[in-house]
Amino acid sequence: MRSREPNARLWATLAAPGIGWLLLFFLAPLYVVLAIVFGRVDPLFRTAVPVWNPLEWNPEQFSYVLSRIGPDGIYFPALLRTVGYVAAASILCLAIAFPVAYYVARLAGRRKGVLIALLIAPFWISYMMRMLAWVNLLQNDGLVNRLLNFGGVFDVQVDWLTGQPVVVILGLAYGYVPYMILPLYAGLDRLSQPMLEASRDLGANRVSSFLRVTLPLCRPTILAAVLLTCLPMLGDYFTNDLLSASPKTAMVGNLINDSVQAPGQTGQAGAFVMLVLVATVLPMFYYVRVTLRGDEVRT
Amino acid sequence: MPVPYGPERGVSNRRQFLQRAAILAAAAPTLGAFLAACSKSSTQSAAPTLTIAKPDSPVKWTIPDDNKPIADGLVPEKGATLKIYNYADYLSPQAVKGFEDQFGCKVEISTFNDGDEAITKLRSGVDFDIYNANYTEISRLVTGGLLRPLNHSYIPNISNVWPTFTNPWYDQGWQFTVPYTIYTTGIGWRSDQVPADIGALSNPYESLWDTKYKDKTAIIDDFHTAMAMVLLKQGITDVNTSSADDLKMVGEQLTALVKATSPKVTITMYSDMPAGQIGLCQMWSGDVINAQSYLPEGVGTDILQYWFPADGKGLVDNDMLVTLKGGKNPVLAHLFLNHMLDPAVAKENFSAIGYQPPQNSLTADSLVSEEFIPENLRSAIVKPEYFDNGYRLLELDAANEGAWRNVWNAFNAGGS
Repeated sequence: MRSREPNARLWATLAAPGIGWLLLFFLAPLYVVLAIVFGRVDPLFRTAVPVWNPLEWNPEQFSYVLSRIGPDGIYFPALLRTVGYVAAASILCLAIAFPVAYYVARLAGRRKGVLIALLIAPFWISYMMRMLAWVNLLQNDGLVNRLLNFGGVFDVQVDWLTGQPVVVILGLAYGYVPYMILPLYAGLDRLSQPMLEASRDLGANRVSSFLRVTLPLCRPTILAAVLLTCLPMLGDYFTNDLLSASPKTAMVGNLINDSVQAPGQTGQAGAFVMLVLVATVLPMFYYVRVTLRGDEVRT
Repeated sequence: MPVPYGPERGVSNRRQFLQRAAILAAAAPTLGAFLAACSKSSTQSAAPTLTIAKPDSPVKWTIPDDNKPIADGLVPEKGATLKIYNYADYLSPQAVKGFEDQFGCKVEISTFNDGDEAITKLRSGVDFDIYNANYTEISRLVTGGLLRPLNHSYIPNISNVWPTFTNPWYDQGWQFTVPYTIYTTGIGWRSDQVPADIGALSNPYESLWDTKYKDKTAIIDDFHTAMAMVLLKQGITDVNTSSADDLKMVGEQLTALVKATSPKVTITMYSDMPAGQIGLCQMWSGDVINAQSYLPEGVGTDILQYWFPADGKGLVDNDMLVTLKGGKNPVLAHLFLNHMLDPAVAKENFSAIGYQPPQNSLTADSLVSEEFIPENLRSAIVKPEYFDNGYRLLELDAANEGAWRNVWNAFNAGGS
């Protein structure tokens, strides 16, 4: 045990910058958000004035939001919509990403390097540009409508960009699918080959081996990949703004964006931020628990 | 993966956890104090009084002793960079270049999306020289000490603008502002998508609620402008109302609007309508004029239509240019304001951005006869008498603005 002590100090020293980083750029900003949510409003410019002392916090803005997120509240449809859109887009992402990642990790052989480069390629183009490209394709005289018209044979004029939930969901899936493929690939690539071979040796066929060995082993990876895409999707407002801009498809990110710059309402934006945070921290804890348990099992 | 410290890990962690919790508990108040020290003094914004200017209650601002206009006859700053804070696509690059060439300086333009965002940034102590303001912000800008008063001797071109703007109700004696653009807010439509003559309807605003145009409509993404349109549709001309009943009605009407036509909420009608995404929308007159240059090749400008009440009883507005106290080039800033009021420059700027300047030399007839504006968009030309008859969006007091915004946020959430 004694020989491990210096090691512990070394690791603590190495971890210190990361912990410092977290304190500086996560906990401190979080406290700032709290100070704004429960803070006051500048009487002249109506900008948010943070109140640092928790004893002087005013819950008015927070209660305003909280009292309107229930089933009869005005914000409930947007919250429900967000959950629905994010769930649908995540399932779609997983359906697309898993086979791709599986193929690249397990079956691509010599083409692996090229395929990984192709998987990383979307990151070279900004998210905004990729969404603007869709605006071009989906606008009324865009390629999609022209294709549906079959060169003038039919008269199809679909208004894709004016409040269509399906377009927002597809946009989210398109935007975030690369974020799911990479972690899935990383997990599938280091899947224990001896375990898979053992399952086949013990008589499992391909499907059974996949369902009873590969999938359970991949569970933490899938969870991590889904979380990695879900979390930014929950705060996304840009996709909806560009591909719809209609209140009918507003998500919680849009509520935050709408109130954050509105004089006197930054506190409400902060309250929504806190709600998203709570909603995302809970599955994160679950993920950490599952991962730790997975490690223990493997040990 | 091996577990690094075996059975002792839990014990050690619990102890460490307690130690760290104690440290955190001790540090938490310090964090508050640290952040308090970093922030600006709260006394800075304590209890100001806000004078709200209205057409029937004009305001002449008091110029404080520590913020006097610059002296006469100063030489323009040499080799300087003049910083302008403006909406995107709201200033002609050619007009800017002309100024740069004339005074041997560089002009740097930063952009904002709306006035609220702009004010937040201006408060942070940036050193912009010129800001494109709206009169709904003037009392905050002046009372907050963000503006520099003008020295009129540098701006002789003020004589070129409509007389009403040389003594406007929001800034008597034009001590801080010169007019930049004027515009109306009406209804724009594409005649190829909306064959009906919207302007001939008894209440053209109602067309936005017509289910015939579902998924084809849009309203302006500005709480006051959009909600004022709802009030006008319902025959209420107090577009700054503080009546809870009126606001409740507006909320209900907006809910009905989402159900009927599911409008986009945007400020990019000038490009979305030419692209065919929008067939009918609430629109600023400048945007429908600007939309001509966004039409695809082969599509004639005659498809663009605009309605604004012929008697001027609709929303009329103007934007203005102001010089900022924090700017480092006050002389150049004054000269730039004068430059933009030059008739030729103002006209060139009009052709680039679509928003009309209140220049004496530009009349509805001259703009149409010179083919500057096509006949079908004559209704988008702003006339001086509109400023006598039209309704103005005024600065709202804090409580009223909060009530308006709550209705707007509920609408934007899709669940009002």
